[in-house]
Amino acid sequence: MHIADGILSLPVAAGGFGTAGVTAWYCLERIKRAGDPREQIPRAALLTAAFFVASLIHIPLPPAGVHLVLNGLLGILLGWFAFPAIMVGLFFQAVMFGHGGLTALGVNALILGLPALLAGWFFRLGRQPTESPGRSGWRGALAGSGATGGSLLLFIIFLLVGLPADYSQEAARVAITMLTVAHLPLIIIEGTVAGLLVAFLQRVKPSILQVYGS
Amino acid sequence: MKATSILQQCDPRFKLLGLGALVLAFAMINDLRLVPLILLTTFILWSLSGLSPAFILRRLRYPSLLLVLLLLGLPLAVGDQAWLVWGPLTIYQEGLAAAVLIGGRFLGIFLSALILLNTSPLTTNIKAMRALGLPWIMVDLALLVLRYLQVIGQDYRQMRTAMRARGFRGDKLGPRQLQTIAWLTGSLLVRSYERSDWIYRAMRLRGYGQKVKQPHSFQARRLDFLMLGLILAVSLLITGLSLPLKFTS
Repeated sequence: MHIADGILSLPVAAGGFGTAGVTAWYCLERIKRAGDPREQIPRAALLTAAFFVASLIHIPLPPAGVHLVLNGLLGILLGWFAFPAIMVGLFFQAVMFGHGGLTALGVNALILGLPALLAGWFFRLGRQPTESPGRSGWRGALAGSGATGGSLLLFIIFLLVGLPADYSQEAARVAITMLTVAHLPLIIIEGTVAGLLVAFLQRVKPSILQVYGS
Repeated sequence: MKATSILQQCDPRFKLLGLGALVLAFAMINDLRLVPLILLTTFILWSLSGLSPAFILRRLRYPSLLLVLLLLGLPLAVGDQAWLVWGPLTIYQEGLAAAVLIGGRFLGIFLSALILLNTSPLTTNIKAMRALGLPWIMVDLALLVLRYLQVIGQDYRQMRTAMRARGFRGDKLGPRQLQTIAWLTGSLLVRSYERSDWIYRAMRLRGYGQKVKQPHSFQARRLDFLMLGLILAVSLLITGLSLPLKFTS
């Protein structure tokens, strides 16, 4: 669900950068308001690095395979740190592997980051820290699936808005339909993995689900 | 990294500023006639970088799925004027032009970023971003992620080897495989979470969080101003050329 360099028109790419910048600034303000952020940074950084590594796990989905996005889980575990962490991860992916792109970094951050923040909010909504692993797992599954679905929706919206009008009518529609169909199984897989993982964490290390929860 | 080429000797702050101007100019291009200029600029940058062609080609192996679909689909689906008819396949002029434009812009932006960012170590680039005003939380986060990617990657490889030794087969998709992947990811997260506690304590012992403002060690020289001036001039030229072309085409 990455948009590469050169695809989006300049106003959309620039608008994406502006909106992502404002969102990151707001997240950083919320992080600072919660106390000394220095104590939180190493934890957020190591969890981000773990997510980065986990997103490289290959899931054998015919015909080729997929990689997990895990943005819903990022929102659940990192709270307001999720958006800056996604920006950092996308920057590294663009520089180290050539995935995504620098001009599309803002748009890609919004595609993955906004659903991550919403998934984190949804997960914590009315949640008791002592609830059963099964119940937490269902919350995690809904948040994980919802975040991937939200990202897919934003991805399609940005493509429809960002592709120049003269060739967005036919080929773009075909490409978007193909990409949507290809990504639909990922929503189910993401939800399943997120649910199982949250249930595992609630059983093994419940404190990890509450660190950035307040 | 031992600085041997012109770009490797340049101040990373100036390279980042130049890169910003260049990708902005490339992203503005909407006319096919400017694609050779993008590629020429990128080629000149590469010749000043000291990076091997093998390095560049290695990085070009993973284009986006969307990009591939557009580059292959546009010439076959968009346009009225046939450029080539081969059996049931018709390649249209307009679609081909759009594909070349998208491909040219992608190559220009991707390769410029690749060249300008890989002629300095990634940590130096992040520190240069800090010097240019990136918030310190983002900088600390990025530096720590970069530092521990290798360590956590090694953890992951060890756990994966242990799973394979116990008979896990990663080439099938089923509920059991997904559960194993979820638990593997969960273990990786728990390990990282626990490791972060003693990393934070070690960082505090070394003075992390003390309000000592560290000045950056970057120093601009004449070469840096010259390089930035040239890149800005090229960017302005491309922008200037693309504006009237946009109105006339």
